[in-house]
Amino acid sequence: MARRGMKKHIDKRTPATFKIQITSMVDMFVILLVFLLKSYSTSPVNITPDDNLRLPASSSMKDPVDALKLVVSKVGIFVDDKKIVDLKDGQVDIKDVDAADTNFIRGLYAALDQQAQKSKSIAQVNETVEFDGKVVMQADRDLPYEILRKVMYTSMMAGYSDVKIAVLSNQ
Amino acid sequence: MRSFRSRIDDATFDLNLAPMLDIIVSIIPMLLMSVVFVQIMVLETPIPQAVEKAMVKNEEKNDVQIQLSVSKTTGFRLVVTDHGKQSEKSIPLKDAALDLAALKKEVLDTKMKYPNQFRVELNPDETVQLNDIVLVMDQVRTKAATDPKIMFTDTETGKQTETDLMFPDVVFGNVAGG
Repeated sequence: MARRGMKKHIDKRTPATFKIQITSMVDMFVILLVFLLKSYSTSPVNITPDDNLRLPASSSMKDPVDALKLVVSKVGIFVDDKKIVDLKDGQVDIKDVDAADTNFIRGLYAALDQQAQKSKSIAQVNETVEFDGKVVMQADRDLPYEILRKVMYTSMMAGYSDVKIAVLSNQ
Repeated sequence: MRSFRSRIDDATFDLNLAPMLDIIVSIIPMLLMSVVFVQIMVLETPIPQAVEKAMVKNEEKNDVQIQLSVSKTTGFRLVVTDHGKQSEKSIPLKDAALDLAALKKEVLDTKMKYPNQFRVELNPDETVQLNDIVLVMDQVRTKAATDPKIMFTDTETGKQTETDLMFPDVVFGNVAGG
């Protein structure tokens, strides 16, 4: 008799399924979505955080352009994320520079010349593409002008005479 | 006839937010992948068209040349060559550092003398760090809001036009020369 009463009581209880209240969760996600959309970047210049590559800050408001990426960090020179030349204390090893012209970095010239030839051959078959000799240089702020001059000189020799320096916006 | 209570129950309903949540949850990881916390710029100055034309015209004439040398040991040296006549101004170091405030004042004075000149040739010493070069470029590119007005002649209209730009066309003069 008592069992029958208990069964009746269980049957009268609310069903086992229930609805989760997700309104507040949606509210939170919408706020997060707005914040992320504001921080969304389509910039063609990407930097990988590294102790050896800290960009200088500038008041320049010019947006980056889509161009060849040249990185000069404290440990090396990279063309399109591929290490080309090693640097030691911000200096190029003597074996990497030309004996007759100490501003000319041979490995860098070869890499840049290869990129230039590739761009030029694409420009020949595709009229919408034009080789404009633009290069975006990401260089560490503590590097001396001596190495930067060598890099710019070698870039110029390879046909990349429009060197743009990437900076962090301090505005 | 339905009761008042049952009519109230018909008017309220639960909005199904589950599909919306699905979409948001899908978008958020994609946005998190492309989020940036630092803004990258390139060191160039947006040049108004009138200024750009004046720059090109001035480049063709090339009567006036302005050169700025930067040294960690001696400071700045501003050399202006006007039709072959050279004038020089030195700005020594202040507290063993480059005196950027004095440079700005000197560059502004030079700009007032040569308002149609927009190019400056920068010649840093080999030991000068990139950070200092960028700071110098920032100083010579634009005037401060409190500085006096800069008026130059628009080559298109021949009228006097106001600009905040001093020497936006900064070129490294000693890249090839050594």
